[in-house]
Amino acid sequence: MQATLEDFFKALRGSDLELHLNAQVDAARAVELVGWGDRATLKHALGTTLAKTSADRAVFDEAFDRFFRFDAFQQPGAQPSSPAKAGETASPDAGQPANPDSSKNEASQMGSGGAGGCRGRGGQALSQLLLSGDSAALAKRMQEAAREVGLTDIWFFTQKGFYTQKIQQAMGLESLDRDIAEAKRAGISVRAEALELARKRLFNEVRNFVERKLALYGTAPTRQLHDEFLQTQKLSNIENRDFERMHVIVRKMAKRLAERHAQRKKQRVRGQLDFRKTLRRNAAYGGILFETFWRTKVVDRPRVIAICDVSGSVRQYARFLLLFLYSLDEQMSGVRSYAFINHLVDISETFEHLPVEQAVDKVIHAVGGSGSDYGQTLLDIEEQLLDQIDRRTTILFLGDARNNRGEAHSEVMRMLHDRARRVIWLNPEPVSFWGLGDSEMKRYAPYCHIARECNSLKHLESTLDALLRTHAASA
Amino acid sequence: MKTDHSDQFASIDSVARGFASVDYIASPAIATSVYLGFHLEKPILIEGPAGVGKTELAKSMAELLGVPLIRMQCYEGLDESKALYEWKYGKQLLYTQLLKDKLGEMMQGAAGLADSMERLHAHDDLFFSQHFLEPRPLYQALHQENGCVLLIDEVDKSDPEFEAFLLEVLSDFQVSVPELGTIKAQVKPIVFLTSNNTREMSDALKRRCLHLHISFPEPALERRILERRVPGLSATLNRELVAFIQAVRQLDLKKLPSVSETIDWAKTLLLLNAEHLSLDLVRDTLNVFLKFEQDIATANEQMRELLQAARKEADLTYASHA
Repeated sequence: MQATLEDFFKALRGSDLELHLNAQVDAARAVELVGWGDRATLKHALGTTLAKTSADRAVFDEAFDRFFRFDAFQQPGAQPSSPAKAGETASPDAGQPANPDSSKNEASQMGSGGAGGCRGRGGQALSQLLLSGDSAALAKRMQEAAREVGLTDIWFFTQKGFYTQKIQQAMGLESLDRDIAEAKRAGISVRAEALELARKRLFNEVRNFVERKLALYGTAPTRQLHDEFLQTQKLSNIENRDFERMHVIVRKMAKRLAERHAQRKKQRVRGQLDFRKTLRRNAAYGGILFETFWRTKVVDRPRVIAICDVSGSVRQYARFLLLFLYSLDEQMSGVRSYAFINHLVDISETFEHLPVEQAVDKVIHAVGGSGSDYGQTLLDIEEQLLDQIDRRTTILFLGDARNNRGEAHSEVMRMLHDRARRVIWLNPEPVSFWGLGDSEMKRYAPYCHIARECNSLKHLESTLDALLRTHAASA
Repeated sequence: MKTDHSDQFASIDSVARGFASVDYIASPAIATSVYLGFHLEKPILIEGPAGVGKTELAKSMAELLGVPLIRMQCYEGLDESKALYEWKYGKQLLYTQLLKDKLGEMMQGAAGLADSMERLHAHDDLFFSQHFLEPRPLYQALHQENGCVLLIDEVDKSDPEFEAFLLEVLSDFQVSVPELGTIKAQVKPIVFLTSNNTREMSDALKRRCLHLHISFPEPALERRILERRVPGLSATLNRELVAFIQAVRQLDLKKLPSVSETIDWAKTLLLLNAEHLSLDLVRDTLNVFLKFEQDIATANEQMRELLQAARKEADLTYASHA
């Protein structure tokens, strides 16, 4: 039973459910209390101990239903062409495949096959089992074989063939083949044909079984690998279909950073004794200072003005830069977001009211075009935003500084540099490209506190980290 | 607490029966969670829409066990001094004033400042003892001799700092007070936390709790709840009413009516001596279970269909029962 529970934990992790060790201990104790007898009770008991939020619960329910289903073999009389249906019939308290007691009984019954071990004892019996059509015993044999070869470690769909083969061998495929050959040699063609058919059916069953298990155990590691790939990959190389996944990653990242920096902010809230308030309040006690009041600092809200280029030259990046802006907006208060091509457009409102996908699409549609004009945009900033910028403001530029040979207006940059706490420029182009062609980056860079190449999620994370650090320090 | 009530908590069914005896109809999921929470000695974090009986569950639990319910309502700005204990500053001050003369006497004959201090030191803990302590809910809960049910209501409204402070209480049933040392629960209380999900709780908190999501009840369960809670209600009206409410929950409303609203409505209809749901009756009493003008308008628009569907549904259930 313990092994079954552990396999189930593995399957849950496969469904991307985070399991803490003490939740697992609780689950084991809960199962001890309620027993395996009733499926619904078992589900409630495991659910209440393992799933910690309503969202987790939904994931859990699905995984539970998938895991605790009985992998029955098809009856030999039925159509061999639809083996996938075989497993659909879930019986209420079945699904605990390897009951130790009964497997022992079975072992003693099947001792005729040969020397110990699943494979050995399976030999003779597998052909018998197949012919006799004892689907329950076959299913059990398959489960045992699966455990023996460690099917729970399956990762990739490419391993399907390997595991199918291994399981069949563990079930006693070799001796089945021998039986077939013998039958052929002896000229008992009916038996040989029946065995051949049974062998095919066995293959189908095992393959379907492995496929189901792959879906159960394999998703999480594969996704992890995919996530890692997305994080280090250049943003321009990531395809649109990964956008949703990217949003999840970026959001996780932003949340992690926010948590890491929350501590620092909290310490800042503690202030010194508020002497005036203390005196005033304690006047009631004859001027003896019994109650103390502490001066609390108002936490300086991060004030960020983020300005994002969405023109043709950065088209590949624009979606992800906007995604980044969107996540930033979610995690920090006091972010104003702007997009531009040749003039400044306030997009904070769009971000506030629309879900990410729609918001990004809308911005690109509304603002997008080609021929970015950084000079004009800087003039716009000077005109519209300058009075909002003071020594607490961080200005974040996202763009490649390709100005299409227009006037650079770097004097505005200098002004921004002087007024703002920080000016950060994230450029998707590598540093060696800065200043080449129509890039004005070399002119702008001196007026930035930080100017960095930024074209993958890893870069974004370190920048966000730096950003939050500044704010904590300024609070 | 575990030994005192072991018979009531012998099985999940007996838990459900016990709750029924105090007029709380628990679904299997609820009964299982409470049963496990009791035996594993773990707090239960209850989530779900407002009015489905989260708080009621804790109250019923206290009634079932015959122990006091200690309720702590969380809100923004709640801190240790309001949750755990506070010194009675006024009383301390009053006593020092009253005892001024005594203090003076005590100090008489003391040679120099050091000596006076020395004498004071012999008594210094007097003013920071149990007598001057104002116990707050958590402190009370740990001091109940027969155990208690501790309800930490709407924990999602509290600050993250307070949530962190709760962790010690929830995992070890103890708190550390700088002046008094560590206070350990005499009998481990049964703890319920409720959350309306206005913010996500920290992992550390979730890890220490069992999780229970209570959603809107199934029609059958809701009918049983009404039978219990509104005894005079006729079976026909009960069926129609539940079917109607269930249909209303399918609408796109700002605030869906939950069990408490169903009960209120049933009581209202009982008071009006209604036998069947009629168009006018529902129109007039709609505001009992819909709390927004906009929702009422939406429901009014589709009133006829809703009512028809409800009647049909009620007939069906009647047929299946009969």
